[in-house]
Amino acid sequence: MKKKVIGLIDGQSGNIGSINKAIKEIIKGRPYQLKIIRGEFDSSLFNKIILPGQGAYATLISNLKKLKIYKPLKTYLENNCSYLGICVGMQILSDMGHEEKPTRGLGIIAGEIKKFKSKKLIIPHMGWNSIRLTKEDSIITDNLNNKDFYFVHSYIFQNIKKSNVLANTHYVKKFPSIVKKGNIYGVQFHPEKSHKYGLNLIKNYILKS
Amino acid sequence: MLKTRIIPCLDVIKNKVVKGVNFKNIKVMGNAVEMARYYSLSGADELCMLDINASYQNRKTFIKTVEAIAKVINIPLTVGGGVSGLDDITDLLNAGADKVSINSAAVKSPKLIRQASLKHGSQCIVVAIDGKRHENKMKVVVKGGREITKKELIVWAKQVQSLGAGEILMTSMDTDGVQNGFDSSMLKKVTSNVSIPVIASGGVGNLEHFYLGHLTKSTGLLAASVFHSGKYKIKSVKKYLKNKGVPVRL
Repeated sequence: MKKKVIGLIDGQSGNIGSINKAIKEIIKGRPYQLKIIRGEFDSSLFNKIILPGQGAYATLISNLKKLKIYKPLKTYLENNCSYLGICVGMQILSDMGHEEKPTRGLGIIAGEIKKFKSKKLIIPHMGWNSIRLTKEDSIITDNLNNKDFYFVHSYIFQNIKKSNVLANTHYVKKFPSIVKKGNIYGVQFHPEKSHKYGLNLIKNYILKS
Repeated sequence: MLKTRIIPCLDVIKNKVVKGVNFKNIKVMGNAVEMARYYSLSGADELCMLDINASYQNRKTFIKTVEAIAKVINIPLTVGGGVSGLDDITDLLNAGADKVSINSAAVKSPKLIRQASLKHGSQCIVVAIDGKRHENKMKVVVKGGREITKKELIVWAKQVQSLGAGEILMTSMDTDGVQNGFDSSMLKKVTSNVSIPVIASGGVGNLEHFYLGHLTKSTGLLAASVFHSGKYKIKSVKKYLKNKGVPVRL
């Protein structure tokens, strides 16, 4: 049987060590192989692509362009191929980001990434917070509903269509913590840092979606 | 709802967790990798580890220990101690740290905070501040409290925030190591003057101390001895806090 190929993008936006380790553990003994994407790639060779990101929206977009990852990634996403974006890797699916400077995103999921607005809030939103599913889904299964995941971010997905929100999280007000459109997923938290439920989510994404 | 984080802290020399006040009577508490694995499994929300004797000789082993720990845990890892410049920060992040904590190097050269947060993002730059009362003022101290700087605590806390720190790890040298509880008045003063997360450190001796720490609006509560000695399990601290109405991850 031909092995499914998982691409892990190193956008030089934070360490990919934890997510790399998590994927390796999950696919051990299973018909998958993991390839790290560090430059231009042929999007037709991948069954799944995971993009973890930390830091600023504008930085990640500019890194992806410099590394020649941006174009093939956009093609891949426009073909509705399977994708999991983590934190900024999720945010860049939007039309526009406002961190550092206004920056055009991949434009896959309509909406913009804007800063949490409230004087009373401690920013960044850092620590463990729970997610509430808005509908059922094959990868974000019911046993993950209301569980805690590790967040660290100051910007959130805004003006997003309700139909693209899979889960919300509450931090003074609710914001989208999981987004989905077709085969494309994005999570605002860090599943690779979120202990067993985080690993569950990555495992579901790889094996079930 | 955002949960209050319970953070065990490992003071490390090479690959051993140690306990000792100001390098006196240093006692080995255990193997750092084993203890880190244990805390991750038993419900710690984050782990903090500090190289408390960052000599050139010990540093290599310490970095290897960071790598080994990052491989066995899947919760966030903050690493500090002996961070003197941008290269040290890059080395620790590459070794698998999620956040790096800077202390005296930031006091000496505040622009390091800006450079580090621009390079790696605010989310992974923690500024550790050691505070102490001196002539009726709260001052910033370095070298484990032995050297009082000219900096006023609150002025410095605000400054590190504006320079781009993502978090403050606040230790009171007036309460550290004594196990009589966190320094509530110092912590409240800091949390009410900054809008970034503050981790309370220094002085936990019993369960109520954790609760009082939460009341200071610190979103992380750091402790070492009460966990290393086996006096409390992380779960029992969290159950206690939950009964008190504090949001925790169980």
